[in-house]
Parts: sequence; C-alpha cells; structure tokens
Amino acid sequence: MTAWNDSAGGRRARAILTSRPFLTLAMVAAVWIVASFVSRGFGAYGHLRYLVELGAVIGLVAAGQTFVVIAGGIDLSVAAIVTVSAISLPLLSWQADPTGLASVLAVLALTTAIGVVNGLGVALLRVHPMIMTLAMATFLQGLLIIIAGGSAVTAENPLVHWLGNARPAGIPAGILLWLAVSVIVLTVMHATPFGARIFAMGANPLAASLSGVPVTSTTLTVYGISGFTAGLAGVLVLGMNGQGYVGIGDPYLLASIAAVVLGGTSILGGLGTYAGTIPGSILLVTITALITVVNASPGWRSILFGSLILGLLLLSGREQARR
Amino acid sequence: MTTRAPLLAARGVSKAFFGNPVLRDVSIALQPGRVHALLGENGAGKSTLINLLSGALRPDSGTIEVDGRAVARMTPALARQAGVAVVQQELSLTASLSIAENIGLGAYPKRFGLVDYRELAARAKAACKLVGLDEPLSTPVGNLALGRRQMVEIAKALYRRPRVLILDEPTSSLSATETKILTDLLERLRGEGVAILYISHRLNEVMALCQHVTVLKDGTCTADRSLEGTDAAGLVRLMVGRDPGDLFPKWQPSLSPAAAISVAKFSAGLMRDVDLDIRTGEVLGIGGLVGQGQEDLLLGLYGAIPARTASATVNGVSGLPGGVPKANALGLAYVPADRKREGLHLIHPIITNMMLPAFARMPALKLRSRKAEGEKGKSLAAQLAIKGDLQRPAQALSGGNQQKVALAKWMPHDPLVLLLNDPTRGVDVETKREIYLMLRAFAAAGKAVVLLSSDTPELVHLCDRVAVVREGRIVRMLERTVLSEEAIVSAAIGAERRKVAA
Repeated sequence: MTAWNDSAGGRRARAILTSRPFLTLAMVAAVWIVASFVSRGFGAYGHLRYLVELGAVIGLVAAGQTFVVIAGGIDLSVAAIVTVSAISLPLLSWQADPTGLASVLAVLALTTAIGVVNGLGVALLRVHPMIMTLAMATFLQGLLIIIAGGSAVTAENPLVHWLGNARPAGIPAGILLWLAVSVIVLTVMHATPFGARIFAMGANPLAASLSGVPVTSTTLTVYGISGFTAGLAGVLVLGMNGQGYVGIGDPYLLASIAAVVLGGTSILGGLGTYAGTIPGSILLVTITALITVVNASPGWRSILFGSLILGLLLLSGREQARR
Repeated sequence: MTTRAPLLAARGVSKAFFGNPVLRDVSIALQPGRVHALLGENGAGKSTLINLLSGALRPDSGTIEVDGRAVARMTPALARQAGVAVVQQELSLTASLSIAENIGLGAYPKRFGLVDYRELAARAKAACKLVGLDEPLSTPVGNLALGRRQMVEIAKALYRRPRVLILDEPTSSLSATETKILTDLLERLRGEGVAILYISHRLNEVMALCQHVTVLKDGTCTADRSLEGTDAAGLVRLMVGRDPGDLFPKWQPSLSPAAAISVAKFSAGLMRDVDLDIRTGEVLGIGGLVGQGQEDLLLGLYGAIPARTASATVNGVSGLPGGVPKANALGLAYVPADRKREGLHLIHPIITNMMLPAFARMPALKLRSRKAEGEKGKSLAAQLAIKGDLQRPAQALSGGNQQKVALAKWMPHDPLVLLLNDPTRGVDVETKREIYLMLRAFAAAGKAVVLLSSDTPELVHLCDRVAVVREGRIVRMLERTVLSEEAIVSAAIGAERRKVAA
C-alpha cells in the first residue's frame, strides 16, 4: 500500500483532509467532544440539534456574506436587513394571505431590493463597499425606529410559525431550510459560470472585466443575494423567536463575517468556499453556548466571545501575503 | 584582461528551490568600467543569480565576493553598503508616493530626525536629470506610464550612487528614445568605473552596449567570454543550445480589401479624431513613443474605456461595442500589456484563467462540466506548449508562459480581431518566436491582428502596415514597402517634418 499516497484517490483524500472546511469541521467536533465530557448535557442529541438550529440563522446570513466576500466586497448591512425582515413581516401580514407565503415573498423581495441598492452604490457610484453598506445599515436602523418604535411586534404568520417550530421527521424546519440553501449556494458557487465570475472578480476585478465578465450586473446580483439570504434569516429568527424588535439582527453582523473567515474564505476576495462557512457557523454558536455554560455576566461574555473569535482566527485564519 | 579584483563576484554558486536545482556551479565577475551582459531564456536562472549577488538569497554552496574578499553571509544591507544597486524587472515602486519619495525610499536624507524634503528633492532631481525624467517630482508614480515608471526605477538606483549597477531587462517597456538615453547613461557610468550587469532579451542592444557576456542555460554557465568576435546568431545558439532559425516568420501577404474595423473621427482617452481601417488578414502595427495614446486606441475599440466616433463599423455591425462583453460578442479580444495586473488571475489555477472568457459568455447558471474544461485546457496547453500541471496557480509560471496563458484564453472563441498590447514584453526568444508564428498564422486565416509594440524590429518584420501615433493622432501610416526602423522612429519623434522643411 505504499502507492496509496501517490494514487489519484490518495491525493484527493489528502487534499480533503488538509482543506480548511475539513479542519474547521474537525475543530467543531473536537470542541463538542471535550465540552460533552466537561459539561453534563452538552453532548445530548437534543442540545446539539438545538445548536445546529441556532447555527442555521448565522449560516443563512453568512451565505450571502460568503458570496460578497469572495467577490471582493463586504456587507455590513446584513444585521440591519435581518431586523428589517423580522419587523416588517408582522406588519405586512394580511387577511387575504392564509398561508402567509405571499407576505414572506414580499419581504424577501424587499430585502433583496435593499441588497441591490447596496450593489448599485458599489458598482455604479463606486462607493467603497464598507462605506456603502454601513451607510445603508444606519439608514435602515433609523427607518426601523421610526416605523416600529421600541415595541416588539408579534408574528401571526402560519408559514413563519411553522418554519420556527415544526420538526418534520424530527429535524427542525430551520435546519432543513439551511440544508436546502446550502446545496443551492454550493452548486451556484462551484458549478456554474456565475460562480466562476465571482471568484475572478474578487481576485482581480480589472482582469475580470477585460476578460468580458459583466462586472456591474454581477456586483448587483451578489449584493442582492446577500440581501435575500439576510431576509431569509430574518424570517427564520422571527419564527423561532415569535416576536420581532429593533436590534434582533445585531448579533449577526460580526457572526456572519467571522463564520466566513473561520471557514477559510479569504477576506481579500477571490478564494474560499461556503463549505467552510457551514462548520464556521456551527463553531460560532458552539462557542456562544460554552460561554453561557461558564455563567459569567453579559459584559464578560461579550469580552470572552470577542477574544475567542480573535484567538481562533489567529489559530487558523491567517493568510499568506499576496504578491 | 584586467588584474584588478572584481567589485562583485560569485564563485561556483549553486542554488536549489525545493530540491530543483536552479543554478549549478555558476561563476561571474563584475569588473569596474565594464558592461557585462547576462543572457539566458526565461527560467535559465538569471533572476536567481541576481538575487544571490544582491544578498536577497543565499547560495547553497559557493561564495559571493566583494572587492575580491569572500563575504560569509551576504545580506541586502551588506550589498547596499558595498554599493550594489539593482533595477528589478518587476517594478518595486509604490504607486501612491511621489517620484521623489519613491527615488529616496529607504535612504531619505534626515535633518533633526525628520525627512529633509529639500535635500531629497535636490538629490532626486539630479538622479532624474540623468535618466531624462522631466515630470514634476511631486507626481504620484501611479500616474506615470509604464516606461516612465521604469525610468524612475533606474533613477532610484542611481540616487544611491552605486559602484555596481544591476539592470534586469530595463528596456523591455522603454521607447526607442528612452532606450537611447539609457544606453548613453550606461556608457557614461562605465567611463566613471561603475561595474554594470545588464540583462536583456534584445540582442542588438547587448551587442552595441556590452563588452563581456555570461550565458546561462538551464542553470549552468555555457559561456563567459568577451563579446568581441561574436554575433547575435552565436549568442542565440549559446542560449537555446541549437541553431537559431529566423526569429521572425517569413512575411507573406494575406491582405484582403475587406475591413474588419473601420472608424472615423474616433476619440478615446488621449486619442483625438482618428480615422482608421483595420483590414481582415493583416497584422497592423501600432508604434510610437510610449504613452502617446496607443493603449487608449486599443481600449477604446475594445469598449473598456469610453469612446466617441463619427461613424464606426465593427465586423459588419455599425457602431462601437461600448462595453467589453459586447466587444467579445462581436469577435474582439484584447491581451493587455501588464499580464500580472490586467491579464491574469495569479492566485487562480491556470485552467480557470484559460476558461474565464468562456465563463463570462456562457449562460450564468448553466452547470459546468469539469471534465470538458479539463480536456479543453489540455488541448489549449498542447497547442501553445504550456507545460506542467494546469491546476497550479498562474503565478507559478514564468513570464513567457503567463503570456501564453493570457493569449490561450481567447483561442476557443476564435476571435475575428485580436488586439494585442505589447505581447512580447519580457518574453524570451523562444516564446517570442512562437507568438510571432501564431500571429502570422492568425492573419493568414483571414483574421485581423492589431499589434501595439514598443519593440521596433517586431513592428518592421511582422506587420503589413504600421500606424505611428504621436500626441494622440496617427501621424503616419507606413505601408510594408517603406517599413524600416528609421521610418518608424523618425515619424514617432516628428523628425521627418523637419527633414522636409530643410
């Protein structure tokens, strides 16, 4: 079996074993195993299932974020878009929509449009993505305070309720939704010309445009996707929570970016995969759960969370300098 | 020839990267007052040898000597102390800093611990004067054309008053006049006793300028001799290891009267009101001094920068493309001059680079077939003699092979018009010949080739017609019968008007 290492299958196996998505997954497994020995009940099936369900929200937000980061940008408005979705959905529900599907679609169209506006600013007005999406976030937050005020709004949408609480075949609907989105995202990213264009744009926008890549429309689409997935995450979080309020999306900004980078996607653009973002999202909720177990005050929890993310990135997320 | 100790020398140095020997037992001695040529194809080990001499790398075995004394551990700092200055092939300038700041970078004159800008300006100005740079010193380097940036790079080396000056392909992006300034300068430095190591792929320059030559082939030294009594063909034989065929393919007319592109009163960037017909089956050369608007002409036709025109027909469709995807659809393809910045995605696999124009044109959500891509890539690589695993990132390739990838990616689309921006810059003789053959074959197949080049012999030997650009206008269209280097250069600098007047 000495030829094992040199055979094509051996090479592929080694490539998978040393890939960033796999390493992140291994890290999740290690943390789970250690934590279940240390803390009673952590390793129970129900608890782990709950963690993955929480991870689904981050995973959905981070799906769009992965597209944007690979294309060489960043979307700092995702948290505000999650909140927009979770607040406008209860306000939008109407009697003539018994299943709730129409209002969900309307909200997703709205959040996609917000993303496209981000893309317009980046592609046509040539505003830096950080400035454009941060300004958009600030604008949306102001608007939400005017519309919703400080009070929470309760969702009475059947579809949303189902998404947040149903467990077909014992699996939470949120996880199924995440699974479906993951399959679509991975296919689009790695098996279509559209995906290849995004990688090219992120690695070298000038060379991409001289090669005929339609940079403007691709940028609009990428930010539109980010608006769409953030909106979808807002629908899910509303269903799990029952109520929407201003600030409900706030935890998902740092989390979405951290999940992308933990999964091995280059923050400089052009390299990466959603296959790494998936375990990255689960790793983040796991850390949050561990910190809760430690039973510290909210201030210390936040400090711990920030330090842990930094530590993990130092362990695995540093990139080689590019020439 | 001389008994003086060489200012800088390598004795029997070897170097390997990851087990691949790049240099094997190579010796070279740089004597004061001599221009020493270092020749070899891409990948022969020239850059590695320079890095050893300048302390950027350390040899696995062998020694580096300064003034005849062996230096145990050569470092960049020691090399600077010894007066060694290197003009790198890859420009090392910072785009957002001014000319003066770039020239002084790392060796700013200080006063009370702060940068003495007055002193810096004075010394930078002196260095600029030597190389004929007359742009204001406060101009950001990013605003300069490639050729001018190269001159800043040379001025940067001179600012350090070197005893040993190493130049790695300094003329590959220079115009004829700039090259002349540089050769005069090197002659003068040689007279002052500076030791110069000169690397170039342009053999006529080497023959005119250098006294001594070292030839590298596959990491070993195949010649270390005086240039007296050698000819260009002999040098090529030493580099390639076999008899040189003609560098340029035999010219055969393949002109047809049909126009591929025809524009009237075309303006884009620096170009103003140009009338131009590009015919099918011809190689149309674009010449002139660097930065007169030639590049804008190509980019404007390609739709990459805004352009205006009174009337235009492109492959039978009226009107300019107005955008790159549209231009591609009309059968136009563009190969940029700066392949690292504009042509390739260096961090992506070679095969992805080759397939990108296809990805840009396919329906966005059609499923890709990795197998079909692999086969396409393999056949393109075979067609253009690109060696090695196509899954490696493009930055692993040598300059010549990168250029081939930049060309190869358009081949599957069978473009009707090929717009080329200096495609042989920094490319070795063998690859140059392959590219020339390809271009002529392309024209013979009834396509149009537009060849913008800073290499005048290339324009003379390869083109059916040459349009000479000066100050944003085509000042002269030279037909095949009157093509010569003199005709191109004199039209480029506007000398012929004076001749008529005299």
